[in-house]
Amino acid sequence: MSEKSTRRQFIDRSVRILGFTAIGGTAGLLAKRASGNAVFQVDPFKCTACDLCRTSCVLSHSAVKAVNDFDKCGYCQLCPAYMDVTSRPDEKGIPAGKVCPQDALKRRVVGKEDPDDPNNNYYEYAIDETRCDGCGKCVKACKPPAGNGSLRLEIRYARCVECNECSILIACPDNAIVRVHTPGMAPTTPATKARE
Amino acid sequence: MDPNQETKKQSLADRFREKWFPPAAVIGAFGAFVAAVFRIRPAAKAVQAPAKNTDLTSISFTRPASSAVILAREYRQSAVLGNAASAVPFRRSLEGIAMAAGGNIVALGDDEVRTFDPNGKLTRHWQAPAKASCIGVGPDDRVYMGVSGRVEIFDAGGAHAGGFTAGERDRPAAITAIKIFQNDILVADAAALLIRRYNSQGTQIGLIGTKSKTGKFMLPNKSLDLVVDAKGVVLATDTGRHQVTSWALDGSPLGAFGKFGMSDPADFVGCCNPVNLAVTPDGKVVTAEKMVARVKVFEPDGKLLAVIGPENFDPACIHIYLAVDPQGRILAADPVRREIKIFTQVKKEGRGAEAHE
Repeated sequence: MSEKSTRRQFIDRSVRILGFTAIGGTAGLLAKRASGNAVFQVDPFKCTACDLCRTSCVLSHSAVKAVNDFDKCGYCQLCPAYMDVTSRPDEKGIPAGKVCPQDALKRRVVGKEDPDDPNNNYYEYAIDETRCDGCGKCVKACKPPAGNGSLRLEIRYARCVECNECSILIACPDNAIVRVHTPGMAPTTPATKARE
Repeated sequence: MDPNQETKKQSLADRFREKWFPPAAVIGAFGAFVAAVFRIRPAAKAVQAPAKNTDLTSISFTRPASSAVILAREYRQSAVLGNAASAVPFRRSLEGIAMAAGGNIVALGDDEVRTFDPNGKLTRHWQAPAKASCIGVGPDDRVYMGVSGRVEIFDAGGAHAGGFTAGERDRPAAITAIKIFQNDILVADAAALLIRRYNSQGTQIGLIGTKSKTGKFMLPNKSLDLVVDAKGVVLATDTGRHQVTSWALDGSPLGAFGKFGMSDPADFVGCCNPVNLAVTPDGKVVTAEKMVARVKVFEPDGKLLAVIGPENFDPACIHIYLAVDPQGRILAADPVRREIKIFTQVKKEGRGAEAHE
């Protein structure tokens, strides 16, 4: 009898130890995750620029902004993300309409400008983030095959308030909002803003 | 019932209450705490995304019916090579085509060079060098490939027959096309935005594209294609200007046609077109476009003769590699669907066929 009791006690003890180890491990992992430099970010390969970043962010002016990857950009004269190529052309044959409803995509000539023939110029495109609301119209228009795919949406950490549960992540139909561990690139939270 | 058994059951229940309930309660409480802190909820209800069919590739660029265009030529698909239904399909890639002697078709894909006879039967295949980016075939059936800034030369059976480095010492060429005319090897260098002319020994003997207002091609899409017609006129894509440009072999500019436009089918759409070129035995210019994946045939002066529409190609194509066989059939390689479509002319120019002005 005493032998049986000892075995039962051993099993009890083992199960308890395993249980508490599992709880401790889970707590440790969660604590590490909570305290680590993990941030929400947009996966450009999944993003379809559906406009939900603009409407779903808890901020009135979304923390998601368009950014241009200059290495990929073609510096096009006829940029399909800048000008609405389906709009009526002006007297020079260049489409008059713009893609961005906020007029947040700005361009300037790089290198020597040919004022007579804009086809001889390269243009650098940059985002005015004070205007950009993250609607992604430019990103969509720049996707291949129309463009080189240099424009993408990004969560800007200076604006992101790092909700425990990102509302854009919940809304995103393409699971394009991902948690990225980026040591040293934690977003500026309200607490750190206050300290600053 | 055996009283001992009853006692045993009671003792098990008691044991559960005494020994298992406390840890279970702790685990449950901890779970509730975690759920509260991290706001773990069931999967959120998917939000209805806006319609995705607003991309530019789905827009129709044809003219309204009231101003329908009657074109002088019409092409219909007559065969397909290398697709999933064929004996040897291209499974991973299709990166270029060229015509060899006797109307044989040479294709680069799946890290192989495959030769088809004019009826589309695979007659030969051999391993291509890694990172081969484009293919050209000389009149002697030697195969030329652009490989990481070098032109590598092989005989028809795949034996290495030489090669040379293209570009400058500190800036290797980004080779996007190779064409051979008599003893000259013409290499499109999309990094330097020009065409390099080499002799058969691999010595650079000239540059094409430098005698323009900007001194180079405008290539926002970082790709340059060229073709040489029977008279030795070099035709090249100037995608940023939406033009097909023509040059003498010594680099002198001879002319250009084309402009941007989204409604007239003779115009080139999007940011940078046309992306690929070929020339027919009777001197007509064949172009391929991206954004609206289509192939067009022009007179050398830019008069539109035929359109092979986007219904024939994958809309995601950023290239449609072109070649024309000695019978005038247009071969168009779709790198997304990994198939070579052959189009045959079914309507000849003549009375009643009004060419598009």
